[in-house]
Amino acid sequence: MEQFLQAGIIGISLGAQYALLALGFTLIFGILGVVNFSHGGFYMLGGYVAYACVDRLGVPYPVAVLAAVGTTAALGWVFELLLIERLVDDHLATLMLTLGLYLVMSTAMLEVFGPLAMDFRFPITGALRFGPVYAPLENLVVLGICLTAIMGLWLVLFRTDIGRALRALADDRAVAMAQGLRPKLLFPAAFALATGLAGLTGALVTPILSLSPGVADPVLATSFLTVILGGLGSLGGAALAAFIVGIVEAYSSVYFGGSIGALILFVLVLLLLVFRPTGLLGREVRGA
Amino acid sequence: MSELRVEGLAKRFGGLRVFQDINFAMPAGSLLGVIGPNGAGKTTLINVISGRQAPSAGRIVLDGRDITGQPAHAISRLGLARSFQQTNTFKSVSVRENIGRAIRFGQRGMPKGLESLLAEFGLSDRLDEQSDKLPYGLQKMLGLVMAFATGPRVLLLDEPAAGLERAERHHVDLFVQHVRDAGASVLIVEHDMDLIRRMCPRILVLDAGVLLADGPPAEVLARPDVIAAYLGDTEEAA
Amino acid sequence: MSGSLLPRARLLGGAEIAAILVFAACFAVPMMTKSVLVFSVLNQALVGVVAAQSVWIMLRMNLMSFASPAFMAIGGYTVAIAGQYEITNVFLLTAAAFILPALVAIPLGALVLRLRGTYFVLVTFVLSQIMQLLLFETPGLTGGSNGISGIPPVNVLGTDMATNRQVVLFACGIALLATVITACLTRYFKQHFAAIEENEILAESLGLVVWRYKALGFVVAAGIAGLAGFSLVTMLLTAHPSSFDSGTAVDFIAYTIIGGRASILGPVVGTALMVYATNLFGTHGQYAQGLYGVLILVVVLALRGGIVGTVETLVRKLRGAS
Repeated sequence: MEQFLQAGIIGISLGAQYALLALGFTLIFGILGVVNFSHGGFYMLGGYVAYACVDRLGVPYPVAVLAAVGTTAALGWVFELLLIERLVDDHLATLMLTLGLYLVMSTAMLEVFGPLAMDFRFPITGALRFGPVYAPLENLVVLGICLTAIMGLWLVLFRTDIGRALRALADDRAVAMAQGLRPKLLFPAAFALATGLAGLTGALVTPILSLSPGVADPVLATSFLTVILGGLGSLGGAALAAFIVGIVEAYSSVYFGGSIGALILFVLVLLLLVFRPTGLLGREVRGA
Repeated sequence: MSELRVEGLAKRFGGLRVFQDINFAMPAGSLLGVIGPNGAGKTTLINVISGRQAPSAGRIVLDGRDITGQPAHAISRLGLARSFQQTNTFKSVSVRENIGRAIRFGQRGMPKGLESLLAEFGLSDRLDEQSDKLPYGLQKMLGLVMAFATGPRVLLLDEPAAGLERAERHHVDLFVQHVRDAGASVLIVEHDMDLIRRMCPRILVLDAGVLLADGPPAEVLARPDVIAAYLGDTEEAA
Repeated sequence: MSGSLLPRARLLGGAEIAAILVFAACFAVPMMTKSVLVFSVLNQALVGVVAAQSVWIMLRMNLMSFASPAFMAIGGYTVAIAGQYEITNVFLLTAAAFILPALVAIPLGALVLRLRGTYFVLVTFVLSQIMQLLLFETPGLTGGSNGISGIPPVNVLGTDMATNRQVVLFACGIALLATVITACLTRYFKQHFAAIEENEILAESLGLVVWRYKALGFVVAAGIAGLAGFSLVTMLLTAHPSSFDSGTAVDFIAYTIIGGRASILGPVVGTALMVYATNLFGTHGQYAQGLYGVLILVVVLALRGGIVGTVETLVRKLRGAS
């Protein structure tokens, strides 16, 4: 029973991290129609920026996290405005652009920080004890911040003008543009929002897990998995799927070990992608 | 002996009804006009009959054979071809290769009259030009010629005159004449009322997804409900 | 004029013949040098080019596939497992390395070819992830995370391909075979593939059975990838999951895009240059990824034809000017 609850806590906190990543990924797909291969790269970059701020500049960790968010969001904005923008209607070309950016980013990190894992620790340690169940404090803090960020994103998207405009663009770009919405401003904004979320997740999670140039690939794969499961472009679907993926991963690693859980999820996603490309909660499919 | 029959045809996208309960028949060698205001469901009707989209209900029968739900390539090979509203050619290759692909993919050999049609449109001298370098009107004609080059017995034309200059519109008459000389029947969706009056002995009026009228243009266009639904809209289109 | 509207294509064009000649010429290289470095670089390039051709076949129909490592794994592990039963006959192994992945591709193709564009990219990415996990989860068959090592040398007409030189010669043979198959397929169906690449909806409305050509391309591309897997495990003498990581698909796509996707020379030139450049980084081979990234950005933004396409355009312009 303790084991069951323990795995549940891990699953939920994994789910919250995945949700932040998947929300950003699905936002970019929904609004721009771009499959962002550099999403894992922005997670990694967020981690390295936070690490550099703490370790090299001696800045307090919370400030370092904000710096990571700012840096990744700014880079996302510039990248969208200068490169993606030119080819935004050619889905394969934009996919290649994000792939190219990712390769450049990970090589740059390799050059600056080397191939080894950084000694980057979360500033809060210890655990809370609920009867027989332990909950590491760092996981609880990250969970709290992730849930706050998800709430914040929800408020931005559903309670502000820019959020309404972004959702209108995601619904139907032609109609939204005919109504005078300006993609020139909104596309970079959406991209920056998404990459900033990836950077935030990286800054929060890499000190708990690990920080090396290799962390980006699995993050990208998990983001794919989650957004396909939830339905490409669907925000609610991405959030729901993220918790499903997190919980399945946590329980399967406790009860089966190895990668059986991941295998099951991937096969499930393959079948879903083929027979219901709209995912669990998705709607109309773009371009398929 | 090529008859197209449409029975109780309907198309919905999710909860949105595009058209419903469409019934008509086209005898072999006939010419049928379809008119209706924008958004009446005309292009979707062509998409559904040609197999590009599946119908939500109803049957499509070609020569007594039920072709409902068949994929687009199968319907094309059974002898039902279509043109597109926008210019639609293989833009990166020459006129010759475009027509060559149509003949090859259609698999019925080169239809009678294709060469004279090319000559009359002035395309025979431009066979080696890249198709997207042609003037708009000629690109559009090339699209029509390609549909004809598959050797169809029934041809659906989606606004063939749209975007053409006034002086070019007789090309459409010429084209339809050629197709009918080759023994095929033609369904033509069009906004140009002069063209419809001039060419079609019979027209259908589609309004908001419902078949409003079916008959000779003089009779149909005089009906008050047709005038109310449609003719107010044509002032700008004509 | 009827003849002129339906020109008969020659079976092989200039680019195809040039590509085949390149690999025929490769046979001479191991005769001219004993340099271990040359052998190593050439061997890597010969493996990479086969995988890149597998990617290129699908790109002919505007489908970007990340599945090549999965089919390479099937081909590679087939050979490795056969080796455990002491089957080393080159003809048998080549046939198996091509046919098994191709057979697996038939049902998979029926599933995944329903998707286009970015959805196809995603589903093939998922496929290679699944293959990776399957390799780890089936230790009885594939050796799990240890892989299969000690693969016996391939036997060609009674001779074991045991030395470096022989392995390179064998890789030349596989690359030549893959190039001939790829050239024949893409040349014979040139009009069909090009029509699907440019305007699938129009092609279908003209009566082209689009799914048939996509399926054919997918199955042959899987077989070609299987050959690349065969060549890879023969070079490494071991079959290991890390050799078939889904990340390697990025390399093969980079080779193809950078070399140019319009002609079969694209993957050939792209692979040769990229593998060569990677080796220039010496022990810091991982930095080559950054170079790939920059070149991908340049090609997508500025030189859409890649290296081969750009050179072709330049030559045409120079000819036009003179």
